Amino acid sequence: MNWTTFLQFTRGPLFQASLLIFVGGMAYRLVRVVLLGWKGDKAPAKGSKLAGVVKTYLKGFLIFPFVPWVKRTFNRNPIIYLAGGLFHLGLFSAIILGTPHMLVWKSLLGFGWPTLPLPIVDWLSAASIAAMIALLFYRRTNPVLKLISGPAEWLNWLLVFLPMVTGYIMTHHLFFQYEVLFSLHMLSVDVLLIWIPLSRISHFMFYFFSRTIHGVEFGKRGVTP
Amino acid sequence: MQTQKAINTFVKETGGWVASQLEACTRCGMCAEACHFYQATGVPEYAPVWKVELLRRAYEQRFTVSGKVKLAIGLDAEISDEDLLKWSSYVYHACTVCNKCSMVCPMGIDLGTLIHDVRSGLAEAGVVPADLAAAVQKQLEEGSPLGMTDEVYADRLEWVTDDWEVDIPIDKEGAETLVVLSSIEVMKFPQNIAAVAEVLNAAGENWTLSTKAREVVNFGFYEGSHSHTTLFLKRLLDQAVAMGVKRLVVTECGHAYDALRWTAYNLMDIPDSLEITHITGLLGEYVSSGRIKLKGGAFNEGKITFHDACKIQRKGGHINEPRQILNILSPDAFVEMTPNREESICCGGGGGVIAIKDADPVRYAAFELKIDQVNKTGADTVVMSCSNCRLQFTDGKEHFNLDWKINGLTQMVADALAD
Repeated sequence: MNWTTFLQFTRGPLFQASLLIFVGGMAYRLVRVVLLGWKGDKAPAKGSKLAGVVKTYLKGFLIFPFVPWVKRTFNRNPIIYLAGGLFHLGLFSAIILGTPHMLVWKSLLGFGWPTLPLPIVDWLSAASIAAMIALLFYRRTNPVLKLISGPAEWLNWLLVFLPMVTGYIMTHHLFFQYEVLFSLHMLSVDVLLIWIPLSRISHFMFYFFSRTIHGVEFGKRGVTP
Repeated sequence: MQTQKAINTFVKETGGWVASQLEACTRCGMCAEACHFYQATGVPEYAPVWKVELLRRAYEQRFTVSGKVKLAIGLDAEISDEDLLKWSSYVYHACTVCNKCSMVCPMGIDLGTLIHDVRSGLAEAGVVPADLAAAVQKQLEEGSPLGMTDEVYADRLEWVTDDWEVDIPIDKEGAETLVVLSSIEVMKFPQNIAAVAEVLNAAGENWTLSTKAREVVNFGFYEGSHSHTTLFLKRLLDQAVAMGVKRLVVTECGHAYDALRWTAYNLMDIPDSLEITHITGLLGEYVSSGRIKLKGGAFNEGKITFHDACKIQRKGGHINEPRQILNILSPDAFVEMTPNREESICCGGGGGVIAIKDADPVRYAAFELKIDQVNKTGADTVVMSCSNCRLQFTDGKEHFNLDWKINGLTQMVADALAD
């Protein structure tokens, strides 16, 4: 098998299989949690639960990522805030607003959207990769992070890092033949897609549960979340 | 030790509400920076994320594919006796369940409640710190963890009635409002009882104390035992229902308010006609409606700051009332701490921590954050609406030789009542 056929495999059947595993796995995780049962809360509310939910999402989506210093804990842990925020910003810019990725979405969904110019996506991706390295270093040195990190956490880091770094090198046509890099990029994406439902990278789905719960809990008490 | 009982409890606690939040955790460790016990000691095991680790392990091993795989290949082990002992010291000694961590969590996980669930498992397994377990036993047998027996209660009330020359209705028939004191007030801050009585009398409230429902403190809630929590709550609520009161007022006690106002409804049936509220809410209501009149500027000397209690302000929502009152009593003297309101730093004595002798070093360490916060305001008086905080402040004041005056909000209101 040469690199061209390997590329065809990793971006063809393997990618489709990985996508299926990803979607199926996430659906399983979701159903599993939902079916564990939900007890209603019978305590009469003091404030509006809905208002709490709205406020916590506004804070979570707008204030927290873009104006992190509103949180006093920011000063105690600026690396995690900045690197964490930058990583997510770069990641989502690339996979949603990068032209090649948009075209993948278009082939899957049937419609596309305007994208960001390559230099912007490129710089954001570079920042994202730098942020990941900073976060790895931090995870290796901070006593709490050392305590709560096991093999799964290191693997999470590696499996997210590989697609990002191969993608970045690929757009710059560095080091290797294009087909080699493209194949490795696709292979790492496929592995990541299979890994996500098994790991904590799935937090993007459960975020909506915990944020809503947070808003309800603070809202019902009449406290700003 | 019955470790399996703890595991069973963890599994039982884990419905969708708990599981979805355990799944949302990214293990970023930010919660550690919110925890006053971690900040004060630097012990990584005090990070809130680590405190809920037992609950997470039990959940994953029982319900998730990755948890089962990890167990099978030796990356995780069954929860052991040693684990329970270790976590007992993390969640009882170094946590006041103040829930500040949930405000910092980027996922918004309600860590305080999850830590309470860990306590529930440990309580079932019988791994509650000895001092706390002894207090629970005392409350089971004598009706109060602080030795406030029927006789002591009656004696103290009689003494307060005489000494402060105040009317205190007891077991009054036809009363609309039942007030339940905490034994901390009865035993350590009796002037608070007089203050409550003076304020309610001035407001013309048709109120009473009860000889049956006399202890609002709930050590079952501290240890996390559902059965004890329910039993102690029922002592109060059954009596309130039997008396046909419309309102049950919790005096200056934080966790008792948390248990009655937010938890009791999910443990037993409470009639809709019964309102449960906190004295802080009542004071705000009286002042707003003009049922009591205060002497403006009655406490306007020096600098006065307000300590927000985790269970009454952050978890209870009575954040504005104390400000409303202090702006009348101390318009120039009142200064805010930073951070304050719902972001306030806990005193370090709540959640049963102050009752555990072995926890004294971490409790004092956590209190140093509070000292720093108060000193930065330059205040000479600290006011609060929680007797448990007040106990911690009074004890901390002595321990650290501080030149502060500690006061209760109800006390100040009573002292400033206009004739």
